[in-house]
Amino acid sequence: MDTSLSTPLDPATPADSGTLVLAVPKGRILSELAPLLARAGIRPAPDYADENSRRLRFPTDDPALDVVRVRSFDVATFVAHGAAQIGVCGADVLMEFDYDQIYAPLDLGIGRCRVSVAEPAELAGRDDPSRWSRVTVATKYPNIAQRHFAARGVQAEVVELNGAMELAPSLGLARLIVDLVQTGATLKANGLMETEVIAHVTSRLIVNRTALKTRPEVIGGWIARFRAALASASAR
Amino acid sequence: MTTDEPPHPALLPAGLFDLLPPEAEREAALVEAMMGVFALHGYERVRPPLLEFEDSLLAGSGAAVAEQTFRLMDPVSQRMMGLRADTTPQVARIAATRLARVPRPLRLSYAGQVLRVRGTQLAPERQLPQAGVELIGAASAEADAEVAVVAVEALAAAGVTGVSLDITLPRMAPALLDAAGVEGALRGRLARALDRKDAARVAALAAEAGPAAAPLTALLAAAGPADGALAALAAAALPPAARAIADNAAAVVEAIRTRAPGLRITLDPVEFRGFRYHTGVAFTIYGAGRVGELARGGRYVALGEEPATGMTLYPDAVLRAAPEAAPRPRVFLPPGTAPEVGRRLRAQGFATVAALSAADSPQALRCTHVARDGEPVPLGKD
Repeated sequence: MDTSLSTPLDPATPADSGTLVLAVPKGRILSELAPLLARAGIRPAPDYADENSRRLRFPTDDPALDVVRVRSFDVATFVAHGAAQIGVCGADVLMEFDYDQIYAPLDLGIGRCRVSVAEPAELAGRDDPSRWSRVTVATKYPNIAQRHFAARGVQAEVVELNGAMELAPSLGLARLIVDLVQTGATLKANGLMETEVIAHVTSRLIVNRTALKTRPEVIGGWIARFRAALASASAR
Repeated sequence: MTTDEPPHPALLPAGLFDLLPPEAEREAALVEAMMGVFALHGYERVRPPLLEFEDSLLAGSGAAVAEQTFRLMDPVSQRMMGLRADTTPQVARIAATRLARVPRPLRLSYAGQVLRVRGTQLAPERQLPQAGVELIGAASAEADAEVAVVAVEALAAAGVTGVSLDITLPRMAPALLDAAGVEGALRGRLARALDRKDAARVAALAAEAGPAAAPLTALLAAAGPADGALAALAAAALPPAARAIADNAAAVVEAIRTRAPGLRITLDPVEFRGFRYHTGVAFTIYGAGRVGELARGGRYVALGEEPATGMTLYPDAVLRAAPEAAPRPRVFLPPGTAPEVGRRLRAQGFATVAALSAADSPQALRCTHVARDGEPVPLGKD
């Protein structure tokens, strides 16, 4: 499945277009992504998969492609600004920052989870949310939370946290949380109950708009390689 | 959070900034170079006011920037005024009212600053320079080609070459969706998938929408260099409305090729992102490398239902893309230098910096030369 593996550099592309940068998220997704990268023919330097490596930018066996490892939220920022031309990030991040400079041409089908509303199990169902005019929400997704509650006429007062959201309700910081849920085990362990799924989330291949417009052959070639890698994965 | 410290006097509101020497002069020179090209192509300059009544400013194509417009109450007329967030609607208003009786096609140009309520994370500026052309009263592909090529030529005059022109057809996807009778939630999902360029999802949803939506998949994949995209358009089975859009795109590309054979053109048939008031072809000019967008424009319907097309160049982006010009040499005129010496040196292209007191020194005033016996002598060589 190595269609267009040797995409030639477009002769009309300016000489400074140089090396492409692929931004990938640290942590959980990184290991799920590894087989896909391998099938797409991307072999980063060996210490890439080592979470303890201090290096952030890794060459690959393709001299025209480097990989950078950044936080999931930052992948979108790098790609939106054109610092990286392609990236892999969760649909949750794209929902939160609605960057108009990003295209998300491929659903990679990895990193499956959901963005959900959760509340203390003992409070769930005790009052009628349709009577709320406002609600305090602890989340790292202020925009998603605000949009979600605004759509039902409730003003979300967001307490922005970067982690340990599950603590917020029991310590009186917020009534609800909006967070990424994979198995729900962390919620359960903290006495919370998932009451509503806002969106199901998978990781996407994203590309920078300007890069796709000005170097359609090269970027299009990489999208095709990822698509072929996905197809060969699902064929097995 | 309270603090007793007074705000720093240099702090400006978010998104606003001072342009200092030498960039301020360079930007002005670039704008004039571009305006010179517009003038040579017969575009006559207009200068609309910064403020006007909101109902005229936001009429027609202006509605697209309504939420980005600063408003204030006019204490005189007690009516709401808007600070322009885009110049095109103002030029369209001038064409439709004060210049309504000037024979068409009417060619107008403008340069000035616009303000917008919110910057974005990518482009935080809230005050932006614009320079552009509007061609009003001509519906032909020739007119679209003319404004695109004039814009490319203006960029070249500003020293920016190697640009690429991206053409989109904002009405193509709606035309295909209309022909397929796609409505409601499915239309929304398809539009979103198209917007993200999510090919697999477009294919799945297009299949759901029926055979008339089938070309969407092929056209999504066709985005890229113009020749390939035009071939895909020619090969696709398009309903009449979409076929007319495709034929027009081909005519525009051909007209541009005739005028600018070396220009790199890409075509994205089903993109509609970011062109809210455009009706026919829409243009974006990208600079080489990481420069980004240098200009935007395309066809729209001006006030009074007149066909119009235009291009807006972004001088701040042009400034980043243009090669740095050699700084103007500065020659120090010591006390007592005869006025005609200064006059002669200025005529030779020097900036003259006259000493106002004996304490002034050429080094402190950043001079490159000193006038000795009426001749410019490079500093450090005497």
